[in-house]
Amino acid sequence: MNERSLFKTIVISIISLWFLIFVFVPNILVFAVSFLERHENNFVTFSFTLENYQRIFTSVYFTVFAESFRLAFISMLICLLVGYPFAYRLARLKGRVKHILFMLIIIPFWTSSLIRTYAIMIVLKTNGLLNKTLLATGIISEPLELLYTGTAVTIGMVYSLLPFMILPLYASIEKLDKVYIEAAGDLGANKIQTFIKVIIPLTMPGIIAGCILVFLPSFCLFYIPDLMGGAKELLIGNLIKNQFLSARDWPFGSAVSVVLSCIMAVLLLVYYKSTKLVQKSGERGGI
Amino acid sequence: MRFFQTIALLLAMCMPLAASAKELYLYNWSEYMPEEVLQKFQKETGIKVIYNTYDSNEAMYAKVKLISGKGYDLIVPSTYYVSKMRKENLLSKIDKNKIPNFKNLEKSLLNKPYDPSNDYSVPYLWGSTGLSYNADKVKEKVDSWSILWKPAYKGKILLTDDVREVFQMALVQLGYSGNTIKESEIKEAYELLKKLMPAVRTFNSESPKVPYINGEVTIGMNWNGEAFLAQEEMPSMRYVYPKEGVILWMDNFAIPKNAQNINEAHTFINFVLRPEISKIISEEIGYAIPNREGKKLLDEEVRNNPTSYPSDAIVAKGEFQEDVGDAILIYEKYWEMLKTGK
Amino acid sequence: MNRFFKSMYMLMVYLFLYIPVIILVINSFNSSKYMTGWKGFTLDWYSKLASNTMLLDAAINSFTVAFLSASAATVLGTLTAVTLYRYSFFGKKLLYALVYVVIMSPDIVMGISLLVLFASIKIELGFWTLLVSHITFSIPFVVVTVYSRLSGFDKNVIEAAKDLGADEMRIFKSVILPMSLPAVAAGWLLSFTLSLDDVIVSFFVTGPGYEVLPLRIFSMVRLGVKPEINALCAIILLFSLVMVMTSQFLMRERK
Repeated sequence: MNERSLFKTIVISIISLWFLIFVFVPNILVFAVSFLERHENNFVTFSFTLENYQRIFTSVYFTVFAESFRLAFISMLICLLVGYPFAYRLARLKGRVKHILFMLIIIPFWTSSLIRTYAIMIVLKTNGLLNKTLLATGIISEPLELLYTGTAVTIGMVYSLLPFMILPLYASIEKLDKVYIEAAGDLGANKIQTFIKVIIPLTMPGIIAGCILVFLPSFCLFYIPDLMGGAKELLIGNLIKNQFLSARDWPFGSAVSVVLSCIMAVLLLVYYKSTKLVQKSGERGGI
Repeated sequence: MRFFQTIALLLAMCMPLAASAKELYLYNWSEYMPEEVLQKFQKETGIKVIYNTYDSNEAMYAKVKLISGKGYDLIVPSTYYVSKMRKENLLSKIDKNKIPNFKNLEKSLLNKPYDPSNDYSVPYLWGSTGLSYNADKVKEKVDSWSILWKPAYKGKILLTDDVREVFQMALVQLGYSGNTIKESEIKEAYELLKKLMPAVRTFNSESPKVPYINGEVTIGMNWNGEAFLAQEEMPSMRYVYPKEGVILWMDNFAIPKNAQNINEAHTFINFVLRPEISKIISEEIGYAIPNREGKKLLDEEVRNNPTSYPSDAIVAKGEFQEDVGDAILIYEKYWEMLKTGK
Repeated sequence: MNRFFKSMYMLMVYLFLYIPVIILVINSFNSSKYMTGWKGFTLDWYSKLASNTMLLDAAINSFTVAFLSASAATVLGTLTAVTLYRYSFFGKKLLYALVYVVIMSPDIVMGISLLVLFASIKIELGFWTLLVSHITFSIPFVVVTVYSRLSGFDKNVIEAAKDLGADEMRIFKSVILPMSLPAVAAGWLLSFTLSLDDVIVSFFVTGPGYEVLPLRIFSMVRLGVKPEINALCAIILLFSLVMVMTSQFLMRERK
């Protein structure tokens, strides 16, 4: 008995200690700074204020937030739509081919992200590869102006975030037992019914994991939208970076970061509650 | 026990060895100092240069400030950060007696308002932000920032992604100082820029030359060094100094307050100011050197290229960026409004 | 027919992922400096790269940190996921929350707050602070991935192992770990990728003398990114592909 709980105690203490020192303490600092005042020469002065939070609730920042949300959501959705069938197919393969194909997804991402983004821009530019191909095949008669548009930003975002969707999905789909699918088929369910009623609920943890790993980081991503979209819009990532570096307003930057975390927490909570409800009703329906 | 003693002994032996090997921790933009120069320096003086990099003045400032400059011996801030860091007591005074080659520097580029007697900074490279265009597509005379507002260039304009530069461009057109701290003037500049926004195709401070070479933009802001490099692959690239006055910048050597190797830092500055070393730097990096003697060694073609070396009249009319203190918040506010379309 | 479409779909996704890197490889032989069009074949960038020791050092540093941090983050992250999945303890909800806080923290906020932490406890900046920070921002990606795999499992298997007298360590090693292996591998790969790509956090937490590749590349903005980087990326790509193929080959041999 003693030996049993020893492992548990050690593991819990190591993890808790790590998170306490390297996550909890720094974030408490950020939280504390968000209630202080900016100082021109020392970043902050120790006087309490709520002004930083009041400032956030203006229409400029609402636009910034809405735009970031829209971009992150669309990127997540496209990643899911592209990634799910791919991960599903990959997970159903066997042996060496499967392992090699699995590794091949991530390898392009070990090269510099800046250079990769430049390469995508070479494809999308007005006299670039894509336009030349489309013109040659006669699909379009005038070159498309893709670069520095919303479309280009979405393409760039999906490109860099796709592995963060595919890998968790794959890990979750891979364990899916074929027995369930066959059983559903035996019970007279057609393919679409099986997919919606059996496969999706069983792979839901993977879908949630993938969506979280794509949505949350993409919210603060800014250099891909800046490069590919021409930096004409301000995103949360830009805002926070500008506040910390060029405006040197750390309290306000911290406040934005805190508010961002709170909004995300609420979103996650709502999301979890709703998926739990769906799963429960699904189970009941299944039985 | 013996094991630990051996280790301790070994460590004790290593310590003085490590301390005696002379080192210099340089904090700079990547590839902003030719490898050749560093090698020559090490060969001659035995001082090993350890090169660390940053990607913006702002980031460098935040880091140096947070660690009180510990660990870095030489940094390369631009004008407005020299004045800011100097005022905040982050820099240590430079001893010009240890830098005899200081006399090689161009007099007209010294003693500027950001460091009135150059006690804290030594000019390294300088350049400007002016107007660039593609001569194949722009046939009229280009000599003023106001050309960007012409409907003909809608959707073909590039601006740098730098709040100060963009506002400076608008402010000088209105006849104000690009370093103004008056909200009313900044607001006026904002109103002017707001009209330009729909015409802007891209903001770019990564490498402004590329959208020009790719043909995505035809006219806009650019750095002279970028324009100079672009001319290699794009003969129709032009760079002009707008009549309202050009935006000037200068990157300078400075020694952080808590630098460990102050003597080595002085030796290095002195080394770089040698005419023949300056020449190597100018040829490799592409920006202009503020070194009068070094400039004499350059090819006539380069020395007389107005893109790299503007006339004295243009420099006199131009304006160096200065620290604007708290007014940066006003700039930032209008920048946010500009980019969110409010 | 159906099979054909499925394979075509996979091929399309791989094309999407690989076209940019193929362009990158082609450009590493392009004599045009700014990747603006084909200007003739050259090996110049490779020879320039070979003499650029600072760039190569930074690349080696990057891969060292990425490998070590991914491995450590995978161990810690897997343990965290298992802990969250199996045990209930004081502060569990907080731990959950902290996992998400890390994923959504803007890089700059994390970088500066960690730097303030290190500076205030007087830890010298350098390799160790860099490693610890990379481990910290990678852990949640492993946790989320492994947790999602665990959360569909039949808990009866664990109970059965317990009834058979297996202790916690044993259960972890011979039941949970094998079950979650693909997720552990996925977590490692994501961590490795994140670490290789990070610029902003690394900038703040690293000390003089220890530099990583992405920072070097991003700091080239003053003059534009040099074409040697294309050559470097092409070599990294080739090296990775060879590594993957050999590892698969060796694995089959052993079986």
